[in-house]
Amino acid sequence: MGISIPTSPAILVDLMKTGSVVIVFAYLVSRARFFTNLLDRTSDYKSRMLTILFFGALSIYGTYGGIVLSTGAIAHIRHLGPAGAIANIRDLGPIVAGLVGGPVIGLGAGLIGGMHRFFVGGFLAVPCGIATVLAGLTGGLVYSLKKGNFPRIWEVMLLAFGIELMHIGLALLIAKPFNDALAVVKEVTVPMVVANVIGAGIFASIISNLIDERKTSADKEKYRRELERKRFELETARSIQQTLLPESTPPLEGFDMAAFSLPALEVGGDFYDFIPISQDKWGLVIADVSGKGFPAALFMALSRTCVRANAMGNATASEAICMANNLIAKDAKSGMFVTLFYAVLDLRSKQLRYVNAGHNPPLLCKGYGGDVAALGAKGIALGVMDEINLQEIELNLSKNDVVLFYTDGVTEAINGRDEEFGLERLITLLEQNSSLRPQELIGKIKSAVTDFTQGQVQFDDLTLVVLKSL
Amino acid sequence: MEIIEKKIGNVSMVALGGRLDVYASSDLEQKLNAMVDGDNVCLVVNLEKLDYISSSGLRVLLASLKKVRKREGDIKLACMKPHIKEVFDIAGFSQLFPIYDLEEDAIQAFNKK
Repeated sequence: MGISIPTSPAILVDLMKTGSVVIVFAYLVSRARFFTNLLDRTSDYKSRMLTILFFGALSIYGTYGGIVLSTGAIAHIRHLGPAGAIANIRDLGPIVAGLVGGPVIGLGAGLIGGMHRFFVGGFLAVPCGIATVLAGLTGGLVYSLKKGNFPRIWEVMLLAFGIELMHIGLALLIAKPFNDALAVVKEVTVPMVVANVIGAGIFASIISNLIDERKTSADKEKYRRELERKRFELETARSIQQTLLPESTPPLEGFDMAAFSLPALEVGGDFYDFIPISQDKWGLVIADVSGKGFPAALFMALSRTCVRANAMGNATASEAICMANNLIAKDAKSGMFVTLFYAVLDLRSKQLRYVNAGHNPPLLCKGYGGDVAALGAKGIALGVMDEINLQEIELNLSKNDVVLFYTDGVTEAINGRDEEFGLERLITLLEQNSSLRPQELIGKIKSAVTDFTQGQVQFDDLTLVVLKSL
Repeated sequence: MEIIEKKIGNVSMVALGGRLDVYASSDLEQKLNAMVDGDNVCLVVNLEKLDYISSSGLRVLLASLKKVRKREGDIKLACMKPHIKEVFDIAGFSQLFPIYDLEEDAIQAFNKK
């Protein structure tokens, strides 16, 4: 079968023209809301109708705007129809519509292009009309087969190639007289297949890009939301923590006291508390909840409440905390625990009775420049097990004794070389500055830690409470 | 953070190295959960190369300990550096976890059962 190859410049120019128009169509549709709705699967009835109309219009354009072959071997065929013999791209619109929107939309666009071709007339009217309807339907079936995923570019081009062969086959099968049909087919096949395959390639690449772009922006949006949620969580955790800390230190007769807490970026659940037990007795708490962020903040709220409830009216430090532990341990899922130091301060006798539930032992500096001792006691963190025993220790404070309560955020503050601030530095600071007022001592420690860390981001909250006997 | 797993008989070994901070803790939590879910309830955690453990690290070990003990298993710790041991002592966790100087002793303790 001698199929002529379109080598004349006129045909190449026609091909380029057709390609350009297809690009414009593809670009326009890629900017249209109804089409992107379809890609996002958020299309309504109106979007689907507009898509059908748009690709139907492209199909009608395809009937006229193809490559005109009215000269040469088939010029004598009088019943070609008013449009002459055109290597048309009528099938392109319905194919793409089907691939993007499914069988109904493909069929819709195909019917528009096909019916129009039918009424244009000529001896090829019936096969060409049918072929266009089938093209839309085939695109739609591929859509269903691919479960709505747009095929790869080469797959789309292959599909267009196959559909064009079917188109030509139908023309040969149905059109009478066969010899005329054959003559037209010989002339038209190569340019028509080439034009449709290239057109399909153009559409497919623009649509694929569009899908990628939309996916990337959807991912970005998801990431942004995630960040927003995270930020909200952090802020909530921070505000829970800040709300639950005492607004100020209570005035204690015969004592001076100051407190400071700096939450880490991701809140660590440090807290301190001053609990009125009776007229002369105050409960002092410093604690550090394991973990970070929202869970830590909630666990901190729970622990603080349990400790408060059991401390009020209970002068025995160990009893109060052991009872609090029983409540906390019941709620301590996923290994949450809290280390806590609790002391009952008797303002009259200046006696401190304390328990240490796994917390960093506070430091006691006896008088000015005196030795520093750690207030350890046998115990275990709260929430770890149901029944615990805590050793309760009595300590008598004298004039100018300073007790420094702290959390590990202070001693484990790191600098750029991953070195820790350490307990030694803290002890030295306390020894050298025990004559200062609590507020000033806290200032000293804060600036020493800041100097040491050199702006390195800290992972843990940093909490200090200083009690001084006057 | 370095986490190396191996299996000796029915005892699962986990060797930790570096800093077990809040970020490394969530990695470790996933690994330990996967091990426990895979029916590895006899664990020996070797802390020889561990330089730092945060409260989040303690939490992860405690959570796993609670899980394996429910299923007749245990977590035994081995080869702690002194300053790591101190963290366990302060928090009272030394009362909770069986601690061994040598890895072999920890494994032996499982086998004696």
